[in-house]
Amino acid sequence: MRRIWYVIMLASLIALCIINPENSINAMMDAGEKAVMLSIKLIGVYAIWLGILGIVDQTKLSDKISSLLSPIIDFLFGKNLDQQTKNYISMNLSTNILGMGNACTPLGIKAMNGLDKLNNHSTTASTAMIMLMVINATSIQLLPTTIIGLRASYGSTTSSDIIIPSIIATTLTTVLGVLLVKLCSKIKFKKKVRKV
Amino acid sequence: MTLSAFIIPVLLICLLLYSWRKKVNAYGAFIDGAKGAFDLCLDIFPFLVAIFVAVELFNASGLTDSLSTLLKPVFEFVGIPAELSKLILLRPFSGSASLALVEEIFADYGPDSYIARCASVIMGSSETIFYVATIYFSQTKVKKLLYAIPVALVCTIIGAIVSCLICRII
Repeated sequence: MRRIWYVIMLASLIALCIINPENSINAMMDAGEKAVMLSIKLIGVYAIWLGILGIVDQTKLSDKISSLLSPIIDFLFGKNLDQQTKNYISMNLSTNILGMGNACTPLGIKAMNGLDKLNNHSTTASTAMIMLMVINATSIQLLPTTIIGLRASYGSTTSSDIIIPSIIATTLTTVLGVLLVKLCSKIKFKKKVRKV
Repeated sequence: MTLSAFIIPVLLICLLLYSWRKKVNAYGAFIDGAKGAFDLCLDIFPFLVAIFVAVELFNASGLTDSLSTLLKPVFEFVGIPAELSKLILLRPFSGSASLALVEEIFADYGPDSYIARCASVIMGSSETIFYVATIYFSQTKVKKLLYAIPVALVCTIIGAIVSCLICRII
């Protein structure tokens, strides 16, 4: 991430110096403003979802969801998770599937913090943390509601015919992501063993 | 579309009824949960600024356009229409920018065209990887993500290729 950010910043600034140096400061300030606007919006959004999550937590419903998803979580993240982290992960996965994009972010962050504790706050991500990130980054939502709505608003007659292709594509990418993470973690493990 | 609109309100009604049956103070639980939102946003704010600055500069510098032109033959080779190269390039960085691109594609080619359907499926089956990568780790001490980003990127590209393939068949 550090490297990617650095390369993008450097390359963009150099390009801007050549074609249009006045624009660079404008673009940066624009970005700052957009980030502030988004954060303020997100405070409200996250407050609502975290509030609802509070109810789910205190009714012990989250324990039920996580015991339902327990076999999947054990397979993906290993068996040594504490109950709270397990709850957050299972709710993150279920909100993902339901396409509640704004709800899964705070849950994902909380789940990640739990995994961070298990990882002894190391600076290197654990396999479980990478797994959580990759699953979220490959998107597992079943109903791409935003896009369907957008298509309908542009006068599409069959706006929801993208649902099935999307489900196929998203399932495939997530399965592939999970397999790749499993594979990469094994390769890394072998390397470590060899070094010892 | 109409059915999916019911998911969230119905789930919430069930939740409220359930909390009543379990004799949980739903109001108090909501307040307790919502308390964390402000701190959370404070924590992710610097990460948001960093991504936004990079994306904005990247766009303003015209590098997005030149890079997507450069990559067009590569994308065409793997079966992705050249018109979508910019979308695939922007998608991992910015949800709003890629959504704006999809709107442009809808307006230019019509929402039922092959290109527009490909764009829709790609949007529906991918995520803003770099946003997820920074925001999710924002409250942890993790600095090294190892293979996480390459894996996510490979999945997105394969997902895009498959999306276009499926759209061609269906």
